[in-house]
Amino acid sequence: MNIAKDLYNYRELLKTNIKKDVGGKYKNSVLGVLWSFINPLLQIAVYALVFQVILKSNIENYTVYLCCGLIPWQYFSSIVLRGAAVIVDNANIIKKVYFPREILPISIVTSEGVNFLISTIIILGFVIFGGIGLSWNILWYFLIVAIQFIVSIGVALIVSSLTVYFRDLLHLLGIVIQLLFYATPIVYAINSVPANLQWIVKINPMSYLIEAYRSIFYNQTIPNFQGLLIALGMGIALCVVGYFIFNKLEKRFAEEL
Amino acid sequence: MSKEEENRIIVDNVYKTFNVYMDKANSLKEKMLFWNRNRKEKREVLKNINLTIKNGEAVGLIGVNGSGKSTLLKLMTKIIYPNSGKIITNGKLTSLLELGAGFHPDFSGRENIYFNASIFGLTKKQIDERIDNIIEFSELGSYIDNPVRTYSSGMYMRLAFAVAINVDADILLVDEVLAVGDQHFQEKCIAKMKELKEQGKTMVFVTHSLGTVKDFCNRAIWLNQGVVKMDGEPDEVIEAYLKETT
Repeated sequence: MNIAKDLYNYRELLKTNIKKDVGGKYKNSVLGVLWSFINPLLQIAVYALVFQVILKSNIENYTVYLCCGLIPWQYFSSIVLRGAAVIVDNANIIKKVYFPREILPISIVTSEGVNFLISTIIILGFVIFGGIGLSWNILWYFLIVAIQFIVSIGVALIVSSLTVYFRDLLHLLGIVIQLLFYATPIVYAINSVPANLQWIVKINPMSYLIEAYRSIFYNQTIPNFQGLLIALGMGIALCVVGYFIFNKLEKRFAEEL
Repeated sequence: MSKEEENRIIVDNVYKTFNVYMDKANSLKEKMLFWNRNRKEKREVLKNINLTIKNGEAVGLIGVNGSGKSTLLKLMTKIIYPNSGKIITNGKLTSLLELGAGFHPDFSGRENIYFNASIFGLTKKQIDERIDNIIEFSELGSYIDNPVRTYSSGMYMRLAFAVAINVDADILLVDEVLAVGDQHFQEKCIAKMKELKEQGKTMVFVTHSLGTVKDFCNRAIWLNQGVVKMDGEPDEVIEAYLKETT
């Protein structure tokens, strides 16, 4: 594979890019790394207020339940939104030097992945102090993250290259992400979805992943491997499609930017 | 040296057009609403170019503005791709196209050296070994730790040049950048490029400074309206070029 060789040759660039991204986020802010906690915590507070206190959800330990879905979802949504902008934002470099363009979306997915690993502390905090506790099943976490990483790479390759040609995709994706948020079982349980609407949840790889996170943290059971396999299949399909789209479109990046 | 390394750059029947949009629909919305608005003109920039650049050659690309010199150089670096035909390069290649060379404005000069050199495919260890040379060559002194956005265009160019010549490339592509530096730095660059030439590196540069071509190159290529008008000894090519343009 050509791309594997390219990525290996340019591994230093990938590393600097990721470091720059992870480090740069906290470099010049007073609260530093706390920012990556405050934002999700606030969101959890708002959704918990709306769905538990006002709408009276009957899910037990709702805040913990919510948190297991919301944190992974934030990883996904930042991939879509930041991934879409990454090529356009780096126009000045793309127009000046050659390097494998895939490095840009891949480093976004990786650096956001590092942030997600950090944010997982929030989930751990909630399950430990929310009266659920830990079981050995949380070790499956790394498998689920790996699958989410594959899904994210595929998505990032597609959105980053398309946005170069359709600039308003960036705004459109903001709306799509909001809709997808409600099409994924994050604030509600999957079994409360009516049978004739189940397909919406089933075609979304994030549903299987969030269910899996919830199994290991909230239910303390093993994840549903069949679901994970489906998500993995979708992830690989997205990567293949993404690779072809990106490859086709990258040839004219420098001219379109 | 293997057979294929003798030919560093092969330009095989390369044809390139640019689309010039009168009124470009840049978004999905516009593309759907005004699908007939996309009036575009095809501009032929390079018309079936064939060139072979051998190892150790120092080639000067000359021609009037708009003749396709910079486009050809961009095609060689793989920043853009031809409509038909192909370009094969053998060996490690660095390029210095216009100003900037892909610096990150908020990073310091030193951080940008790491960033820029890694774009050219160097590992951290290799950069560590070269960083002192790079800083020394750039003559930036204590400015090296200031953000690049505070640099003057001359400082920018010096840093970019210092990185490009210190990454041990086999092929160096340079697009009219020397014009920015002061006399002293220009001379230093030329001296360094001569040194690289003696080491057997391959160089292609676009320039309007015919004196440099005469002095430095052992081959000159004159591009005119997207075709190679003349290719050969610098003295002869320049003479013909001057005859026609003045």
